[in-house]
Amino acid sequence: MNKFKTLIRKDWIISKKTLLMPFWITAGFYLLIIIGIVIAYFKGDVQGNLFDFPIDTPINAISYIANLSVVGLPGLMSIIFTIMLMQGALNEDVRRNCELFHRSQPVSIWLRTGSKFYVGLIGNWIVLFLIALFTFIVVNIILAIMHQFNFYVAVSGMLQAFIAFVKTGLIIGSLTFFCSAIFKDKAFLKGLSIIVAVHFLFLIFNRMFGWNLPLPLSYLIKLMTFDSGQRALVGVDEFETLNLIKNAWNSILFNWKTLFQVLFSGALFAGATLIYKNKEIK
Amino acid sequence: MELIEVRNLTKKFGSLKALDEVFLKIPEGRIIGLLGKNGAGKSTLMRCVLGFLKFDGEIDIMGERVNHHKESIHNLIAFIPDVSSLDDRLTVQQTIDYVAALNESWNAVTAGRLLSRSDLPLNQKVGNLSKGMKTKLYLLITLSIDAKILLLDEPTLGLDIVFRKEFFNTIIGEYFDETKTIIISTHQVEEVEQILQDIIFIDEGKIILHEDIAELKNQYSLISVPTDRKEELEKLNPILITHTLGKVSAIVGSDVKIEGAEYSRPSLSDLFVAKVGGSNE
Repeated sequence: MNKFKTLIRKDWIISKKTLLMPFWITAGFYLLIIIGIVIAYFKGDVQGNLFDFPIDTPINAISYIANLSVVGLPGLMSIIFTIMLMQGALNEDVRRNCELFHRSQPVSIWLRTGSKFYVGLIGNWIVLFLIALFTFIVVNIILAIMHQFNFYVAVSGMLQAFIAFVKTGLIIGSLTFFCSAIFKDKAFLKGLSIIVAVHFLFLIFNRMFGWNLPLPLSYLIKLMTFDSGQRALVGVDEFETLNLIKNAWNSILFNWKTLFQVLFSGALFAGATLIYKNKEIK
Repeated sequence: MELIEVRNLTKKFGSLKALDEVFLKIPEGRIIGLLGKNGAGKSTLMRCVLGFLKFDGEIDIMGERVNHHKESIHNLIAFIPDVSSLDDRLTVQQTIDYVAALNESWNAVTAGRLLSRSDLPLNQKVGNLSKGMKTKLYLLITLSIDAKILLLDEPTLGLDIVFRKEFFNTIIGEYFDETKTIIISTHQVEEVEQILQDIIFIDEGKIILHEDIAELKNQYSLISVPTDRKEELEKLNPILITHTLGKVSAIVGSDVKIEGAEYSRPSLSDLFVAKVGGSNE
């Protein structure tokens, strides 16, 4: 366990810059907003009503959708930075000519790959959660001032969106990690190109010969995407909104798809480690 | 006791045989030089012993069979390749902490002593260190591990003579004792000749010679005569003839004597050229 901690510390040190990048981007985003508000204030152009909701929209729906949305931008950033980190996970040391140094240490390959996988995924999730939490606080203070705030609904909205992005990150991150065991550089792009090529090849075969070959890209997108249930909230009352939010937990977390996503990710991790382990170090 | 035993080791890269049916027995308490031309198989042999490459044949280290990527082997062997293989993204302190935490046989006292003697900047990134500093760091982290075997693969490549001398002096002073074995693969054989006890010549993936250096040198003499007496030397069936200014020298059996000649012990590089042929660079 101590060795794993040491590896995590090392991987955190070398990934720190990339992992913390979303904080700086978010800080820059907030800074721009503040500057915009200050300029507007001095020009006498500040609008009191920042959110323009229809009068008959239930408070819970506003609170829920607003909190789902606050995770959107950091969620997208999280996925981009997960790809950036994971695509160098198992090939960066080779490119930097330090593979021999690391591989000469008496530590299991599974621990080494596990640490890189852990830092690449969980590191990004922690950053996403912290940014989402900060944005959650800011947005809900504004909503509370506007009497559009319900704590349970707000937290549900934020957490459901967070979990959905975590699951998307899990699939795309694991896939990129797997590609990094195969390709020396631009692992994600190369892996994606192969998947797209196979997808269209199968599509052509299916059309030409009337076959029913599975289309990998469609399956992958299905596995990565989620339905937040926002559309179902249109036009429903407060009571119905709460029921829909409760049901959204089932569609986002407590279902077979989640189990399948975890198994798929585990299989990609194991496959990547075996490929990496069997590679020769010349 | 044999620390390393290699039996029938063959390694192919495509159709190229990098190692060809190698048999070796490496005992404890020896300093061994591994000498060969570029591409002779020195690095490949070391990487097979470390389990970095797949191979045919058998390698045992202290009775433990080496497979491709066997982590436990690295508890027994410390390895220094070219010093530029350190991780440039870590600082000196982080590198030391990393290696110390992963190696159970880390000796903090040795590390402290080596650190106090060096002027390594602890907070500096390894990537910003000079090659000499990187060498000091590599020595520190490797010699602080109490491994039974130390493999050095062209460790001083690109270093100036001062660092090269310091490198080998530190290894002999801080690491070596009669229970440990050092295998050094290097082109600069003249610099390590004085510290080596055994020599292995490797060429085209085959072990040409594996002998105690003193015994090897006792078998031969280097005879030098003026250039006009070259024919006399040629009649002695020498294994090597070389020309120097106004003189011609030959490596012959140690029992061969000719009148008026100068006698000396042949150098390792002369013996290498004689046995393997061609340049050792």
